Amino acid sequence: MSSGSRRLTPQAVEVIDRANSVGFTFDGRSYSGHPGDSIVSALLASGVTVFSRSYKYHRPRGVLTAGFHDPGCMMQVGDEPNVRGSHRLVEDGMVVSSQNRWPSLRFDVAAANHAVGRFLTAGFYYKTFIKPQPLWPAYEKILSRFAPGGRMSADSVHGRYDHRFAHPDVVVAGGGPAGMLAALAAAEAGATVMLVEEEHALGGHLRYEPSQHKDLATIVGRVAGHPNIEVLTDSVVTGRYDDNWVAICQRNHPGVFERLIKARAKVLVVAAGLVERPYVFAGNDKPGVMLSTAVRRLINLWAVKPGERAVVLTANTTGDAAVEDLERAGVAIAAVVDGRRGHTVVRARGPKTGVKSVELADGSTVEADLVVTAVGWTAPTSLLNMAGDRPRYDPAAARFFACDLPANVLATGGITGDGTLDQLAEHAQAVGREAARRSLTTRRQWQAARPWAASPQPETDDVSPQAIPDLPRHPHPEMFRSTSHGIVDFSEDVSSKDLVAAVAEGFNSIELAKRYTTATMGPTQGKLETVNAVAVVAEAIDRTIEDVGTTVWRPPYAPITLGALGGRSHEPTRYSPMQSWHQANGAKPLVAGQWIRPDHYGDPEAEVRNVRENVGIIDVTPLGKLDLRGPDVSRLLEQVYVNRWAKLGVGGVRYGVMCAEDGVVLDDGVTGRLADDRYLMTTTSSGAGTVWEWVENWLQTEHPDWRVVVTPMTTSYASMNVAGPKVRTLLERIVEDIDLSPDAFGYMNVRQGRIAGVDCFMWRIGFTGELSYEIHVPAGYGLDVWEAILEAGADLGIGAFGVEAQRIMRLEKGHFIVGQDTDGLMQGFSAGIDWLIKLDKDDFAGKPELTWQSQRTGDVRVVALQPVDGTVVPLEASQIVDGSGAIMGRVTSSRMSPTLGRSICLGVVAENLATAGSVVTIRLPDGDLVKARVMEHHAHFDPEGTRLRG
Amino acid sequence: MADPIARSPIRPLEPSTILEGWEVSGARSQAPLTICDVTPLAKVTVRSDQDLFDVAYGRARRDEHGTLVVGSAPQEWLLVGSPGSAEVLTERVGDHGFTVVVDITHGRAMLRLTGAEAATMLAKVCAVDLGDHMAPNGAAFRAPVVAVVTDVIRDDQDSTPSYLLHCERSSGQYLFDALTDAGAEFGLGVDGFTARH
Repeated sequence: MSSGSRRLTPQAVEVIDRANSVGFTFDGRSYSGHPGDSIVSALLASGVTVFSRSYKYHRPRGVLTAGFHDPGCMMQVGDEPNVRGSHRLVEDGMVVSSQNRWPSLRFDVAAANHAVGRFLTAGFYYKTFIKPQPLWPAYEKILSRFAPGGRMSADSVHGRYDHRFAHPDVVVAGGGPAGMLAALAAAEAGATVMLVEEEHALGGHLRYEPSQHKDLATIVGRVAGHPNIEVLTDSVVTGRYDDNWVAICQRNHPGVFERLIKARAKVLVVAAGLVERPYVFAGNDKPGVMLSTAVRRLINLWAVKPGERAVVLTANTTGDAAVEDLERAGVAIAAVVDGRRGHTVVRARGPKTGVKSVELADGSTVEADLVVTAVGWTAPTSLLNMAGDRPRYDPAAARFFACDLPANVLATGGITGDGTLDQLAEHAQAVGREAARRSLTTRRQWQAARPWAASPQPETDDVSPQAIPDLPRHPHPEMFRSTSHGIVDFSEDVSSKDLVAAVAEGFNSIELAKRYTTATMGPTQGKLETVNAVAVVAEAIDRTIEDVGTTVWRPPYAPITLGALGGRSHEPTRYSPMQSWHQANGAKPLVAGQWIRPDHYGDPEAEVRNVRENVGIIDVTPLGKLDLRGPDVSRLLEQVYVNRWAKLGVGGVRYGVMCAEDGVVLDDGVTGRLADDRYLMTTTSSGAGTVWEWVENWLQTEHPDWRVVVTPMTTSYASMNVAGPKVRTLLERIVEDIDLSPDAFGYMNVRQGRIAGVDCFMWRIGFTGELSYEIHVPAGYGLDVWEAILEAGADLGIGAFGVEAQRIMRLEKGHFIVGQDTDGLMQGFSAGIDWLIKLDKDDFAGKPELTWQSQRTGDVRVVALQPVDGTVVPLEASQIVDGSGAIMGRVTSSRMSPTLGRSICLGVVAENLATAGSVVTIRLPDGDLVKARVMEHHAHFDPEGTRLRG
Repeated sequence: MADPIARSPIRPLEPSTILEGWEVSGARSQAPLTICDVTPLAKVTVRSDQDLFDVAYGRARRDEHGTLVVGSAPQEWLLVGSPGSAEVLTERVGDHGFTVVVDITHGRAMLRLTGAEAATMLAKVCAVDLGDHMAPNGAAFRAPVVAVVTDVIRDDQDSTPSYLLHCERSSGQYLFDALTDAGAEFGLGVDGFTARH
């Protein structure tokens, strides 16, 4: 598989830097190449001709296209699998290995598949492993060992992948001569252009056309120098989506392994050129069988001699040019088989690793180690398909053409027709100007639609639609398959025989045959195999290619890595102003939505005891806070809460529950009146956004006449709750301008003053069941105030407590949590807030549903539960069952109470079980049943509220 | 008792110093593209049934006092002034019709991104078209930036492209971290807050 050097003397348009060398290994052996070499060109120059084994039969594979889509040259580079070896440039120190072989490329055990190939036809897996079904896991385990492709480790160090948004007026897909000229014309007409080319340099087929080198250099220079054009090489337009959302995978950006560019193009110009089509004949996948464009690339770009003695099957001028290149490179031309005269090849013979001779249609055999085919082109219409086009086949030109494009997509170059270079240039430039015209019209529309945009330039008279000339279509013989069978899909190892067999089994449309055989579904995504597959199916069902049509090409145009799709990880995270203190003091973080909160500081039960005995402080900044101002705030409150608000005086605070229109509990919280026309509403932490939208909805849609302004202030304030029997003593040391005595500042009141030198307002409320003050200060001062409180309370035993301790204490106190003890179906009366719901109010959100609920029986109720065995803490969500095992409710909250020394719960039960003193049965996750008693009050601790009113 | 110190949600790059009662970074960057935490700037939101300012929704410009007036929504404006000026800004609004003025200085994190490549960098994390045609100097809009609701104001500095980005305070550190990550390839430098901001 390796012979002597095949490097040619310097070629006129070669891209390698002969002054420098790079060293790399392939399957453990050392090789050298030059900067500019692809991995494959460097290996081929060193005499290596086999680069991988095939997908199914594990047949040796060599160069076929020497370009971006080269199915036999997928390689492992370091930790990166499935690298395009004919495209990736070789680098010093690269560790390259072949894929789809074990133990080695030379000796591959799985090549035995070939011996039983006739049993491994299309549908083999479906037919063989479908029964008995229970054995599939075992089959899967074994088959997965033969999964093709490279390998990667979970420990692999991943490169940097990211994303970028772009809004060019025009995206040109394809940097060949037509793409470049279209880009230039569009740019010169005032459009911004993104020009995307999959190869490492612009130029397309002109790159390996020495006679055109000077003209090419001129065009490339103009493109590079135009300020309106951004050139992306080694980049692929992978998809076109609705409204010209164009995905581009960029590979060569410094510091970024791969970048996904999300471009919103006003016009997409597809100038993807043509892809040379392989020929189907026996032995067509042997190393040494290449396309004419492959030998032209190898000789002209990389100065590599592709073989010693060649048979060339040519049906077009590219094949003829390949003959000239081969002769110049010193390759003996054993035979030129002219397809235009009806001549063809039938079979390539030789060992598995190469070609020894070629059998021609006239029965003769010619010795050769290289077979070059030039039998026609595939128009890569993928992006046009994605824009809704269904290309039509032209038998005279032997390829498909676009026919029905939307206004924001244009095409130029070989994909649209043939002609001289001048004709193609004229077409491309007209397309570019038209793309500019259409895109600038769209730009003006977009500018007019956005209040922040610059004023659009008025449309001028010289922007009438550009006439785009038709391109001629050169006649080309229809050559798809010889009289023998060969490989159609080189990526998936699908032969023409497989397709014929699929048709015989009833898969007689191209879409069905595609899915059954997987033809066109490999890494080349149909570029090389679609038209041949269509032709073989057409022949098998005795229809024309036009009748059969083509498969629908969907994104991606070329495979894209998951890394590029994922990009950088952006998970918004929210912190309170006291986060640094929490971190420094050993808080265990709790992820609560986007918020990171202190769950506890080591011992939540000790934190509870400290609050009950001394004083504690908790960071409650995430509590939702809405500033409400205006003369109609109380009307709004009456509307959104189920209870009354009209008589709440300045300085007063009231608890409220909101229900949705269906009467389901939406949120709860307290709202205080700070001034005649100013209130502060608090919501649950998770409900802040929902409640803001809810009140805005009422104001903007139902009552636009109410004069109320709502400002979300959740993070404007650092919020902390200081609770415990010693809290008043503590606060009296650092609070100014507020009389903290019980008579002056009673329960459910709000006062404004200063704490630790900072303006604040302070509520007397009691979620924990203790005497407590909720303090809100401007967020920037939060850390200062927090530390001042801790310092002032040091001798009183103050300690910070986290969310877990707060949850225990609120459960001891019997406060439900919306969303935990209620759910998306629970209406107000089920939550046990009968005392709060005022059905005699004129109106409020949810009133009709709650009225109906009040008149019926059979709903569930939230109740407090205490397991009879106080040492058992039923897991939250444990079921409550009746004697028959039917589900009658569930435990919604449960903890071991450090205060009471026993387990306590809140739960939801059927109404007939909700009577105080009832005993219910809880089924634990392990199936054990425990008894629990329904309590008289929700509060397990201090039901009279003596402590919090102290 | 020592004067209280106000802090931004974004950890200041050392050395830190106190400016106008705020802890700010004293670092200075000469990088061509810089990011600066300008959270200490006073930020006041004004909503009114009167046309109080000659600044349309989606646009921003400085008034005769040097205050940046942003048309942040229909009949809504954001005033951005020097640190500690919230009360002055509020008083200047005056009493007209049904007008509500709220000081949101502490409720928002604000960053300034400045440099010729600012738009290119921002395009990595913001899907809105930032080209001169669509977002010229003085443009103001709200958009997700690294998945955080952010108000973006183009406020060029001495003809150099510059963007003010502000979001609710608790996401400030996250936004800053994500922007510095995106800016690494541009050599983004972190600049401390100074009076010139």
